[in-house]
Amino acid sequence: MSVDVPNTRRAKAQAKGPFGSVGKILDELDDRLGVAKGGRTFMDKIFPDHWSFMLGEIALYSFVILLVTGVFLTLYYIPSSDLVTYHGSYLPLNGMRVSEAYASTVNLSFAVRGGLLMRQMHHWSCDIFLGAIVVHMARVFFTGAFRKPRELNWSIGLTLLTLAIINGFLGYSLPDDLISGTGIRIAYSIVLAMPVVGTYIAFWLFGGNFPGTAIIPRFFILHVLIIPGIMLALVGAHLYLLVRQKHTQFPGKGRTEKNVVGSPMFPVFMAKTTGFLFIVGGITALLSAFAQINPIWQFGPYEASRISYAVQPDLYMAFLDGALRIWPSWTFHSFGHTIPFEVFVPAIVFPGLIFGLCYMWPTIERIFTKDNELHNLLDRPINRPRRTAAGVSVGMLIAVLFFASSTDVIANFFHVSLEEVLIAMRVLVVITPLISYPVTYKICKELQASKGSGKRKVANTVTRSEEGEYVATPAPVYVDDMHSDLAAMEVPRFIAPSPDEVEEGSGTRVVER
Amino acid sequence: MKTSLLQRSLILPTLALISLGPIVLFVGSANASGHTQYQTTRKNAGTPYSSIVKKNKSGVVISYGNSAIMYNAPPSTLDTLGEALFMQNCASCHGAKANGVPANGVSAAYPDLVGLGPATIDFWIDSGRMPAADPRVVEAPRRFARLTPDQALAVAAWVNSLDPSLPDIPTPSLKNANVADGAALFALNCAACHTIEGDGDALANSTFAPSLRDIPAFQVVEAIRTGPGDMPRFTGNLSDYQVRDIVDYVTTEIQHPQNPGGLGLGGLGPVAEGFVALLLGVGVLALVGFWVGERE
Repeated sequence: MSVDVPNTRRAKAQAKGPFGSVGKILDELDDRLGVAKGGRTFMDKIFPDHWSFMLGEIALYSFVILLVTGVFLTLYYIPSSDLVTYHGSYLPLNGMRVSEAYASTVNLSFAVRGGLLMRQMHHWSCDIFLGAIVVHMARVFFTGAFRKPRELNWSIGLTLLTLAIINGFLGYSLPDDLISGTGIRIAYSIVLAMPVVGTYIAFWLFGGNFPGTAIIPRFFILHVLIIPGIMLALVGAHLYLLVRQKHTQFPGKGRTEKNVVGSPMFPVFMAKTTGFLFIVGGITALLSAFAQINPIWQFGPYEASRISYAVQPDLYMAFLDGALRIWPSWTFHSFGHTIPFEVFVPAIVFPGLIFGLCYMWPTIERIFTKDNELHNLLDRPINRPRRTAAGVSVGMLIAVLFFASSTDVIANFFHVSLEEVLIAMRVLVVITPLISYPVTYKICKELQASKGSGKRKVANTVTRSEEGEYVATPAPVYVDDMHSDLAAMEVPRFIAPSPDEVEEGSGTRVVER
Repeated sequence: MKTSLLQRSLILPTLALISLGPIVLFVGSANASGHTQYQTTRKNAGTPYSSIVKKNKSGVVISYGNSAIMYNAPPSTLDTLGEALFMQNCASCHGAKANGVPANGVSAAYPDLVGLGPATIDFWIDSGRMPAADPRVVEAPRRFARLTPDQALAVAAWVNSLDPSLPDIPTPSLKNANVADGAALFALNCAACHTIEGDGDALANSTFAPSLRDIPAFQVVEAIRTGPGDMPRFTGNLSDYQVRDIVDYVTTEIQHPQNPGGLGLGGLGPVAEGFVALLLGVGVLALVGFWVGERE
């Protein structure tokens, strides 16, 4: 006698459908919100696998870390210029009259558990954020990813860079320490240096004369709310356009202007990018745990009468400070007015020109090349020697100005005269861009001409025949080189491919645009 | 055109004001640039609290009237030893009478030491700057002292015996010092050249402000009171009590800082931080991206 005992576990599993309880929940969600179509599009978003596409993600995840650590800092920071008497665990400040902003930042560093680590993570990830933006921007520039149809996203990225620089400076100013106060003093003078409107704008921004008591609360609300809000919206727009217009890709086997080859968002890229988020967070945390940044307790509170030597700005402002340092002191006095060209030109006109050039570059290039086509395949930089040379030239200019912001450190470190360093920088800042353009152009041309450049060399065995002739035959592949012949592992697929999709290779998918 | 009596009577004073005004201003500015009560002449260079200096009957200073810093003249018993040491180590440049030698037509290339005060002589020898390794350098760097402290004292004693002058060799007493006041005074008076972290930095014309990380307390006082090289001579504007506070700040918080947060990156400030962020931060993360991503 046999009784059909129903296998309840299997029966339950069948009732749940092919995707288990997760699928059930998603089903319920789809019934109400209709998320299936959008979710499918999102999961099937194709990411080309080239490593240089990860550079922008460093910036994205640094931004996430900035938001998280920034929220922690706002819990303890007091945005006020009111004077209080410091009584805390840092002895040299005990009993000193300092601003509440400074006292709360020192307390945050010394008295709050994990506070110093959070502060250092916030500062380090800011530096990494700005650095990664520039590196990402360089990748986009040199590969021609900014061309039609992506000019708008290039402009959004540049605006993000500008806002990041401004917000970095505002945040750097908030602790109200000696060094950052000097920075605000410089910023105030730069605003003052604008002809005609400078004094009005400066008084409007700073709520009167420098230093005043309005700066800290104003900078605070700009730093934690207004600018991050705009940046968040722009990051969203940046990523939306990236999904809407689909990724660019390097030319290669099976890759055309009409398709995208790469890993799908789910599961391959999601695993990769989540891992990368943790790596970015981990490296930032390691850096913050082992390397000190901006020890404001050593600098003391800001007072207009005090100044420290060896003061440089953070790396993103360094090119501006370098320009200010090496520009000759030319001032225009006439008709009862002073126009300080030594401040106005390097600190306002020069960055205006550089950023204007960056914003205009897609247009400029289209005018010069008369190329009005859509471009989804990237250029190799060596195949666009003029663009590459121009980019390297501007990059070298910024790099020299970066070094020029530390003339005093260079002079002290190498035991040379400060004036010699200054003059050398003035010469370098003119010569370096002029030299790097033709040199880069020539290197690109040479690389174009040398066939198979960048490919792995195959070893040859040379034999001499009895007649004295030398014959080169390719040697057998070494074991170390064998991996290039191995096939990549098959990536499992959790979602059935849609019929309009073509399978290409292993682990990658091709999607028509 | 008629002019009223009032107008005519105003003409002469106005003309006088216009013509004499610049002269008055000039004289005024000349007065302003002259010695004020706080500035000191060469003879009593660096006499703190000169109004309450106590001297004995023969005019030798026995006290500056406070316990913060004791100034002691080097004992005259060392004169003979000092003269011998001076002839061996110093006279080839500064001359046998210690009155300096103009070198290559440049006056006072080797300065006149007479009347500088024992603290100056002691500071330069004890910090290893003199005898100089290379007499032509703009600013002799600090190095391992070539003469012992006692020998330095002896040289100071002999030079002082040529023309007794001040300041004498200081011994600070840091017992009641206020380190917070010292920090504030340091930020106001010293940080502009030595940097707020005390690491020193390059100044104009190949000179530099040296690091304060490794300098004994009495030498800090000597430097403040005598103004070696390009350093200003802080006398009237800093009392002995304030100097003591600064010395306490330098020898405790600058030389042994309470400084959490990890490696200091050489105290070079945001430039070093920028390099670390670019190379270690962005660089390592780009390498990780290179590892994760596809290379072709």
